[in-house]
Amino acid sequence: MFSRPREPLLWMAVALLSAAGFWWAGRSRNPAPLPGKTIVTWYQLITPLQDLHREEAAAFEKAHPNIEVRIVWATGTEYNTKLKTLAAAHQLPDLFFAGDVWLSYLRPLMRDLTPLVRRDAAAMGLDDFYPAIRAAMQLDGRTYIMPDTMNLSLLYYNRRLFSEAGLSEPTDGWTWDDVVRAGRVLTRPGTPGRPGVWGCSRVEGWWGEWLIYVRQAGGAVFTADGRRCALDSPQAVAGLGFYLDKSARYGISAPPGFEPANGFVNQRTAMVVGGHVSFWLSYSATPGLDWDVQVLPSGPAGRPGGELAIAGYSISATCPHPEAAWELAKFVTRPEAIAAIVARGGVSVRRSVAEAAMRDLRRGSGPGNLAAVYRQFDYGEPIPHNPYFLEMMYNLIQPEVDRMLLGELTPAETGRRAAAAVNAFMANFDPEGS
Amino acid sequence: MSARGPRSTWFWFLAGPALLGFACFNLAPMAYSLWLSLCRYEVVSPPRFIGFGNYAYLFVHDPSFWPSVRVTLAFTLTQLPLSIVASLGFALALNQPIRGRGFLRSLFFLPSILPQAVFAVVFVYLFQADGGVLNGILGCLGIRGQAWTTNPAWALPVLVTASMWGFGYPLVVFLGGLQNVPRELYEAAHMDGAGPWERFRHVTLPLISPVIFFNLVMGTIGALKVFDLAYVFSVTQGKPPGGPARATLFYGLNLYEQAFGYFHMGLASAMAWLLFAVVLVITAVNFRLGRRWVHYGD
Repeated sequence: MFSRPREPLLWMAVALLSAAGFWWAGRSRNPAPLPGKTIVTWYQLITPLQDLHREEAAAFEKAHPNIEVRIVWATGTEYNTKLKTLAAAHQLPDLFFAGDVWLSYLRPLMRDLTPLVRRDAAAMGLDDFYPAIRAAMQLDGRTYIMPDTMNLSLLYYNRRLFSEAGLSEPTDGWTWDDVVRAGRVLTRPGTPGRPGVWGCSRVEGWWGEWLIYVRQAGGAVFTADGRRCALDSPQAVAGLGFYLDKSARYGISAPPGFEPANGFVNQRTAMVVGGHVSFWLSYSATPGLDWDVQVLPSGPAGRPGGELAIAGYSISATCPHPEAAWELAKFVTRPEAIAAIVARGGVSVRRSVAEAAMRDLRRGSGPGNLAAVYRQFDYGEPIPHNPYFLEMMYNLIQPEVDRMLLGELTPAETGRRAAAAVNAFMANFDPEGS
Repeated sequence: MSARGPRSTWFWFLAGPALLGFACFNLAPMAYSLWLSLCRYEVVSPPRFIGFGNYAYLFVHDPSFWPSVRVTLAFTLTQLPLSIVASLGFALALNQPIRGRGFLRSLFFLPSILPQAVFAVVFVYLFQADGGVLNGILGCLGIRGQAWTTNPAWALPVLVTASMWGFGYPLVVFLGGLQNVPRELYEAAHMDGAGPWERFRHVTLPLISPVIFFNLVMGTIGALKVFDLAYVFSVTQGKPPGGPARATLFYGLNLYEQAFGYFHMGLASAMAWLLFAVVLVITAVNFRLGRRWVHYGD
């Protein structure tokens, strides 16, 4: 037992021990910067370009001996959670990976790069970025992202399946009717030992494909002022209708839920509307898959519009040394860095690099028809800028689209219900219409 | 010094660090989340007090709140009875003097050491429409399969089936209870002319009622908190969590999505406190009703 004089000592020991534990748990594990060096933390998503990012960081340090780059990696599933946790803890990295899909939501965390971009426009070759890319870098006329990669909706097709079906390959100027006509010829049921082929894939569970049709039919998710949902417009309903009709009416896509896994790679779907450029590497690496791309088909509105999304880098609003972070942002988006991304199968956000890639007949990966890719830029449409866009799409609209595919709702009912849900959300959760 | 003084000192000395940790890492976050439930807080900007606005939004406007409540209740009301009946049935069978009993007990318990997420992955591959094992078997029999995992009518039953593989824990608890039933009671009942059903109904069930009650309470709490099963089920299919058409949007999953998908920390905190209150009430009701049918041998 303890005597009374020892009790305070005991309590002090417990308190000290606890304090030491907290200090040990909370202390920074990173080594201190060397004298005269500035540390730039770079929070980066793990992608197939991870090695390239490491090489870029090393090259940057070599070119800027007074700056040390510390990359913090995160997987796709934990990226946003970790970033926002860092924000909540006031420990934002100096430079972080961001995309225009998150731009309006993450804007409070981002530094307005407009003054820096204006100052260095000529040196960094601002005009070399495609106009559609420059537009996607901005929100309300201010620049927040320096892009290095992008995605663009395209029409992907399997050349072998087209040839076997006696069809000529898709051309610039195709319409929905052409997709249906070709899809009907390409679709064949499976037989024992020979799996069936669907004329056209269908993306379920997110907006990647149906939004293309909505826009091509002249519709939109939001009204022009962004204050209301416009999915109940006749044009949007027509787009949703085509998405449904691909299986329900024309039979060129698998019924809901029966889409073959990796259908395009496994050559069980002949066409993909939309797709993602990040799949190019795996397409090119798949033995026997002879594929190419074309500009998207046009819908009733006469435009082959499709999604154009960028990804790149933002500097945090609280970055203590923005000039050093800006140097790094410029370095990883310079033409040589973009060329390295293109060499690994990506799409160039810079015109000069794109033109060089199209001239390079020895390139081994990517689609043959690169010209179509860069033509599609002219029709690229950015994701609506609303901080709640992802939530509204996933949580409010997609369940209604799911029900439409299952035959529970007509396209008109889907549009009406989705619009009602979004408008109620905006009225109650986002009354300022941000 | 009184006898209580030194004992109290020892108590605080030994339990102090754990209590401090509990206060710092459990109580304080809980209190903070209670505060956040009264705020609009989306991480990128400071919390803003809105009173009971989050609760009102959940009850009146949120399109995913009530569907997630319905999914969770439907799951609880199907999975829990099935799990209890199945585990009790297997426990009764494995309590019989059969050859290889120890091996069989281990075999039935084995799936329980795997996380629920593993079942979700396996069941997606078993039940997927194109190339799935079940549809392959049905196809061989000339029956057209279903889109089990992507049809709202089937997705939840698939998850109930997947979760059933975790009945090893209640099974072991039931086995423990069954082994504590005195043999002489069965012998006495047998001598009184009771058949197997009467012995089960009037001897076994009353004597294992505390164990049934325990499994019921723990199972209810577990079913109301389901998250990993549903999350992995969606992610494995490359779909946003909770689909198709919110058919697998469990309350826990919805809470997670609000917190870490959409960063509505205030709303998610309100959901967490509502869940806490509901679990508390259901457990209290269980205890109150349990007085009528649970026998502790007194």
